[in-house]
Amino acid sequence: MVEIKRQTTDILILGSGGAGLFAALHAHKADPNLDITVAVKGLLGKSGCTRMVQGGYNVAIAEGDSVERHFQDTIEGGKWLNNQDLAWTLINTAITRIHELENEFGCFFDRNPDGSIHQKAFAGQTFDRTVHKGDLTGIEIISRLAEQVWARGINRLEEHRALALIKDESGERLSGVLLVDMRDGTFTFVQAKAVLLATGGGPTMYRYHTPSGDKSCDGMAMALMAGLPLRDMEMVQFHPTGLIAGQDTRITGTIIEEGLRGAGGHLLDGAQERFMKQYDPREERATRDIVSRAMFEQMRNGKTTDNGGLYVTMRHLDAAMVRRQFKGMVERCHDVGFDLVGGLVEVVPTAHYIMGGVVFDADCQTELPGLFAAGEDTGGVHGANRLGGNGVANSTVFGGLAGDAMAPFVKESGILAEPSQSEIDAAVARAAAPFGKPAGDMNAIRDRLYDVMWEDAGIIRTRESLEKTLVQLDEMSADLANVGLAEQDKRFNLSWHDWMNLENLILVSRSICVAAIARENSRGAHYREDFPDPGALETSTYTIARLADDEMTVETRPVEFTRIKPGESLIDDAA
Amino acid sequence: MVEFNLPKNSRVGTGKSWPAPQGASNTKTFKIYRWNPDDGENPKVDTYTIDMDDCGPMVLDALIKIKNEVDQTLTFRRSCREGICGSCAMNIDGTNTLACTKYIDDAKGDVKIYPLPHMSVVKDLVPDLNNAYAQLASVQPWMKTESPPPPDRERLQSPEERKKLDGLYECILCFSCATSCPSYWWNEDRYLGPAILLQAYRWIVDSRDEHTGERLDDLEDPFRLFRCHTIMNCSKTCPKGLNPAQAIAEIKKLLVERQV
Repeated sequence: MVEIKRQTTDILILGSGGAGLFAALHAHKADPNLDITVAVKGLLGKSGCTRMVQGGYNVAIAEGDSVERHFQDTIEGGKWLNNQDLAWTLINTAITRIHELENEFGCFFDRNPDGSIHQKAFAGQTFDRTVHKGDLTGIEIISRLAEQVWARGINRLEEHRALALIKDESGERLSGVLLVDMRDGTFTFVQAKAVLLATGGGPTMYRYHTPSGDKSCDGMAMALMAGLPLRDMEMVQFHPTGLIAGQDTRITGTIIEEGLRGAGGHLLDGAQERFMKQYDPREERATRDIVSRAMFEQMRNGKTTDNGGLYVTMRHLDAAMVRRQFKGMVERCHDVGFDLVGGLVEVVPTAHYIMGGVVFDADCQTELPGLFAAGEDTGGVHGANRLGGNGVANSTVFGGLAGDAMAPFVKESGILAEPSQSEIDAAVARAAAPFGKPAGDMNAIRDRLYDVMWEDAGIIRTRESLEKTLVQLDEMSADLANVGLAEQDKRFNLSWHDWMNLENLILVSRSICVAAIARENSRGAHYREDFPDPGALETSTYTIARLADDEMTVETRPVEFTRIKPGESLIDDAA
Repeated sequence: MVEFNLPKNSRVGTGKSWPAPQGASNTKTFKIYRWNPDDGENPKVDTYTIDMDDCGPMVLDALIKIKNEVDQTLTFRRSCREGICGSCAMNIDGTNTLACTKYIDDAKGDVKIYPLPHMSVVKDLVPDLNNAYAQLASVQPWMKTESPPPPDRERLQSPEERKKLDGLYECILCFSCATSCPSYWWNEDRYLGPAILLQAYRWIVDSRDEHTGERLDDLEDPFRLFRCHTIMNCSKTCPKGLNPAQAIAEIKKLLVERQV
């Protein structure tokens, strides 16, 4: 019998990115007597993707900009698939959040000469509205939030990995979460009155990807295992400029920021020729989806560098401007051997963000009573394409709203429900499955996943390629089930966590494929070569994927245009 | 002359050796500290020789390769892999730095990798940072104000005031500097060390903060601040190129200035 530690808390928050930390701070503010616990796979404030944000934070605070304009950009960027009420909430609340970040938590963003906040231009937007701290905005946000959490006596379970959402015996309500304390390898069941899923997404199942090494779609995988619906899972955003530095280095896939293209950077093929003109009149300044697709086509046609990538260059621009405006990027490129100011930097489109995720409403409740969700674990805010700068806005806005909602929920209807022992047993058995089996070649399975998802379920897809991928994913699952571990000690056993990461990635990949098969048109990040047209906007549908008895099912539902219909505009002066 | 020996249970022994794969001509040898509190044994240094034709350029690439392909039991901390999170700070070839941004080629001979010096070890290369984080909390690294903010906008800050924070906000709290500092090694229970003092200074010079005096009072202490003897290891080792020693000097200067 495996020993399982037990503890209780009022609110358990999974994840310590922008969503998790904001939720903790807001719940604490609403009711300082609440017992709040943040559990995270790494160290608080150090793991996850909010910290890695470079570009910035979209918010309509400048004179001449408006909530309506930001909303319109977001819906048009999302190709009319967004849940409009969620997008509206995002854009309105972002204004409050920026002032909170500055005035209450002490973040500082770059300034205009008059002392007010500076905002820069980002692709796909009709106004310069991206608040930033140089070109490394995330460190500022996450460091200040983490300090506030330390200041408030909020409990921390660091290096605790969440394994499964555990319901009560009736299956009607969440009881808590089974975790493993990574440092000593013991299982812990945390019973909670409310739980927030805020682990972040992270499409690290693709060969080239931006998120940090600890991201493996754990939240989405746990939600699928708990039978929850995930919407828009076919929508995986690829960022056009990931660094490429060879197959054997983790540097490959890390991002250099979008502002380079905005400032006039050029993309070149392996023969150093520009190519974007063939694809879009905006050339390099087109949206992420268009640029990534153009790059993928160039690569597929063999017009690559020796390393299999393409180039971005700033060498035709004012060197002093590049050095000043992109200090962080110049240093990062230098760190890995590239000269951003005067040379060529090898790049490749890189999997960046999952627009899809758990279905939730504007107060962050999910279908399962007691479970809330916020940030990249959720779907619906961004539709088919996320605007650069709307990601960190999303996590902080909805994280805060989740905290606002969970505090009264705990007071009014929060109970510590007894967990289903059979669910706990099943989750422990699943996690412990690789122990006692002969060690096998986990890397071969991971490499296969990277390749298959990149080639056949990534930037360009067809029904045939997706169905082929599903068959291969099943084979990978079967292979992984036979792979054991060399180290039997559970204490800080990285290979064990690699194994569980891979299991989650394969499961979430299945949901991406079934949703991508169901969408027989091309919108935003989702491009079907066999259905290249976007289809009628007025009859837009979105996908819902669910797991039931290990069967991944998908349905489509009509998008409700609750605020604005295709063809309409909220901007008065729109011409 | 007095000779010191480490206590018996601290002596580092020689561990396993993993030879280069057959046919590899371009190899590099990594000597890596291993310790597991569960097995009751002393720390050991394992030796791994790997094929560099099949390995990325950074030390983190080599660690991941060893874990994936040679020895699954190796443990280290890592997250972002691009010098942003500070999780993979360790002692590489005698210097504290980030494994993700440290070139393997920088080490002339074998690459020796140890956890950050003078910290408790959780396992292998993973240090226990609880004391460092408690010290960080003790300097109250958050904005403290008395006057209310403008109701619907940010507190204004001129570009000149904002500029004072450059070289401070970039700190990623990897603790490479603190664990390179002899003063911190001997007094880490009472001396705050360079990482925390840099964080403290970041709030002291922020024009929006209104508790500068109290912050200085809190640091005016023979141990918390004045154990810094300008050895300068901190500024030499910082993987982000920051200068904690200068921040400490500025704090000392402010303390003197307010007395005259």
